[in-house]
Amino acid sequence: MKRKLAIVFLLIIISLQIYNAFAIQRFPKPEFESGHTQPPTITPDPRSNALAILDVFVLVAALSIVSWLVVKKRSRKGVFWMSIFAVLYFGFFREGCVCSVGSLQNITLALFNPEYSIPITVIAFFILPIIYTLFFGRTFCAGVCPLGTLQDIFALRPMPIKSWLEKVLGIIPFIYLGLAVLYAATSTDFVICRYDPFIGFFRLDASFMMFMIGGIFLLIGVFIARPYCRFLCPYGALLNLVSRFSKKHITITPAECIQCRLCEDSCPFGAIDKPVLLKEKEERPIAVRRFVMLSIIIPLLILVGGFTGAQFHENLASVNSKVRLANELLNNTNYGETEQEAFEITAFNAAGQSKEELYNEAASIIRQFYYGGWILGGFIGLVFGLTLVSLSVFKYREDYTPNKGTCLSCARCVDYCPVLPENKVIIQK
Amino acid sequence: MNNNKQIFKVNIQLWKGIAIVAAAFSFIICFLIIANYLQINRLDPVNTEIINTLVERLSQNPNDEALKEEIRELDLLARKAYFTNQWQIRTGGYLLLIGVIIFLIAIQLINSAKKISPEVGEKDDNNLFLQKTARKWVSFGGIGLIIIALFFAFLTHNRLGETFTEAAFAENALNKEATSDETGSIQTPVETSVNETGQTDIEESTEQTTKTIKSSIADYPTAEMKENFPSFRGPGGNGIAYQKNIPVNWDGATRENILWKATVPLHGYNSPVIWGNKLFLSGANGSQRQVYCYDRNTGKLLWTANADNITGSPANAPKVTNDTGHSAPTVTTDGKKVFAIFSTGDVIAFDMNGKRVWAKNLGVPQNHYGYSSSLYVFKDKLIIQYDHRTESKVMALSVESGDIVWSTNRNGKISWASPVIVKTFDRVEILLLTDPFLASYDANTGEELWKIDCLYGEIGPSVAYADGIVYVTNEYASLVAIKIGDNPEKLWETYDYLSDVPSPVATDKYLFLATSYGVVVCHDAKTGDVLWEKEFNNGFYSSPILVEGKIYLLDKQGIMHIFKADKEYISLGEPKLGEKAVSTPAFANGRVYIRADKNLYCIGK
Repeated sequence: MKRKLAIVFLLIIISLQIYNAFAIQRFPKPEFESGHTQPPTITPDPRSNALAILDVFVLVAALSIVSWLVVKKRSRKGVFWMSIFAVLYFGFFREGCVCSVGSLQNITLALFNPEYSIPITVIAFFILPIIYTLFFGRTFCAGVCPLGTLQDIFALRPMPIKSWLEKVLGIIPFIYLGLAVLYAATSTDFVICRYDPFIGFFRLDASFMMFMIGGIFLLIGVFIARPYCRFLCPYGALLNLVSRFSKKHITITPAECIQCRLCEDSCPFGAIDKPVLLKEKEERPIAVRRFVMLSIIIPLLILVGGFTGAQFHENLASVNSKVRLANELLNNTNYGETEQEAFEITAFNAAGQSKEELYNEAASIIRQFYYGGWILGGFIGLVFGLTLVSLSVFKYREDYTPNKGTCLSCARCVDYCPVLPENKVIIQK
Repeated sequence: MNNNKQIFKVNIQLWKGIAIVAAAFSFIICFLIIANYLQINRLDPVNTEIINTLVERLSQNPNDEALKEEIRELDLLARKAYFTNQWQIRTGGYLLLIGVIIFLIAIQLINSAKKISPEVGEKDDNNLFLQKTARKWVSFGGIGLIIIALFFAFLTHNRLGETFTEAAFAENALNKEATSDETGSIQTPVETSVNETGQTDIEESTEQTTKTIKSSIADYPTAEMKENFPSFRGPGGNGIAYQKNIPVNWDGATRENILWKATVPLHGYNSPVIWGNKLFLSGANGSQRQVYCYDRNTGKLLWTANADNITGSPANAPKVTNDTGHSAPTVTTDGKKVFAIFSTGDVIAFDMNGKRVWAKNLGVPQNHYGYSSSLYVFKDKLIIQYDHRTESKVMALSVESGDIVWSTNRNGKISWASPVIVKTFDRVEILLLTDPFLASYDANTGEELWKIDCLYGEIGPSVAYADGIVYVTNEYASLVAIKIGDNPEKLWETYDYLSDVPSPVATDKYLFLATSYGVVVCHDAKTGDVLWEKEFNNGFYSSPILVEGKIYLLDKQGIMHIFKADKEYISLGEPKLGEKAVSTPAFANGRVYIRADKNLYCIGK
């Protein structure tokens, strides 16, 4: 049966590839009178509409299956096989694009740049995981996201890291999210895609540097599970927020927790909240004083962050290609090239835009970054402030529960729980 | 545990086998890839020993067709092997990836099938402690982030926004000037055509034009210019000086005939120019640009003028190479003002007492070595060859105000040569050389008179002109003699000795050419035949100057080679300055002025 399923799956993949080969060329190929025949192109054609729609259906199906496996069947094995499928389909077959992680930049660009027409597929890839997360927790991260699942396969000897360190590093994705939004909003770059450490593997065309970075991430991932998802992924930061409100999040125990502590260290992502007893509660006057202080500090952090971001705006703007071009032209540095005119300058000259226009445009971009710097800095200040608040709140907890924000719904912990749905306990021999 | 609820059963033995096979497979592939990589790095398909030997044999016997075929086959084989290796590495990479993934899946499945040990570890620190530690590190992290961001922000603050706005404003001003000039030149004929309703007007106009042309012919180079040395390579830049009693003996070491020596404050590869008793030159570095005036009789620095606070001038000077610098163009003077231009595109005019008259920025020239075309004055116009990467043009600015009088676009590449302005048969022409053409422009209107494709490469030497023939040269290209006129034609072309820096100098009969590698050649001006050639120990960057029937040619070590401008090489002296020099000397009656590496020398008796 399994073999038959595998054959059917392979046939589907092959037939889709054949369909892809008939995709319409955007530009007709030139014909040569000399009889020269065109060699086949190496770069894949853009995905046809049919395939794009199929991708959305596959995404819905994958999200549904993984959510079912996680919430209903509580099957780690099932999630694992879905991870393999996600790596193969969303990773290698779709070459990792468009992915939900990067799609937040498309959404931002569409919001800030009315000239950009965003494809419906991209919206679907952005929205669907968020909707599923709102209902079932981060099941997208568990077995659908090709970046996460690839790292998951490499998590062979995961080691726990200190929970305070987890909290500190957990701020980075929010900073990355802010930066990605700023760069997308100013039409500067899609930094998440440019510095995606795994896309090169999926397309088998990584530059040496990106291949090394991806390799290092995977190597680290052997011992520190999913480092990119936990400490960098900006889409994960969004899902972290959404998942806190999820309706049917995975639970470690299917019935009442018996406090056996077997699951205590089962999560490779440190996403299990341990019981917090009343005796660990801070004295009321100290807690009140801290909250009063925080209520003053948070606006201050937003202001200081905004000021810092605004001062840093030139450094942020230097990534923008137009700012860079204007700078190179103004200083006659030719991108450091001495042998020949830099391609960027040749392209600028050929485009026919005047220098005056370019300089004005660059000045306008710098202004955008100045205001963007204020907002980004303020946002980062707010993140730091709210993190401090979350670290000052006392939450009484009796049972071992997954942290709804950071739990990736991988279902590893369920295998550690000896409780059955009928509230019986399995005794291992 | 609840393993019995699993919907997927794992056959551990099978997956163990798969893991072993995948690991072995990956290891072998990895080994092969490394071996292949080392091999591919060691081989250079186009530079193998055997092919090189065969090519050498072929050079001795160029008509050996069998040998040629053998080389082709071997070359093809070597290239095929190289590309096969590359294919093997790429394919190996894919196989390795597949092997590693299968291995990892197998290990994961084996791990997951293992029974979970019901061990419970020691309990962690309490929640309060964890929260406190986390708060501390979050605070440290935030403060650190702010300090780093502010440090870099203040360290790299460049006022980019303001700089771009100012640059856009400067571009706008420049465009407006150019547009108004173009509009002016377009409007003139329209106004004329309105006036041309009466025959008298046409005749008057024609008469006036003829007078202007005659006046131009009679005026250039003017007697005043000839009495002085107002620009790079003399009046008009043709490499001819009109002074007399020039010394042929001096010695820098013993100070024999060295009348004075003065240190120039800022370095520059430009050459001195002279008007009356004043000598001018310029110097610059990345942050300062200056023009100097010396008393040419005493060597006293009369004034130093800064070229700063110029609207549109870039905040940072463009990058230039050390052998060009920021002040390669030589200044020029009309006896009333002195004009200078720098690598930034700043043009500035001072009166003879160093007071600024006007200054403007032409836009930073896009030039990877640095801008180096020298300035010239034609009547009331300052002529600027502005051939750089993004645009290429020749323009005339009003000497009084700096306003653009005319500007003509050229479709050439960057040129490091300088204009040469000469009186031809019936007009005064500005001769400009760039890759790929030599073009002539009317000095009064800027109109392109003729043009001929003749050279290529990075053009350094300016042209030489004599008796209706222009001589152009560039290293790795050729030396071409071109008969000027509305339909210019190549008279002869040679490839033996070519110059990349020094400009040639010509008489009616001979053409003298110096090279940066030390060879000096004399050609028959009409036929191109080599009349003599002489190799010197040192190369030349300085251009030869013809004065009193003698050629003065300064080598890089500061030795002046003085020889007769004749069909035979007759040396008249080789006086040594004792300091390296690349600038071209200036001449006054009885005097030679040389800008050496650090000092300015006055030589005379």
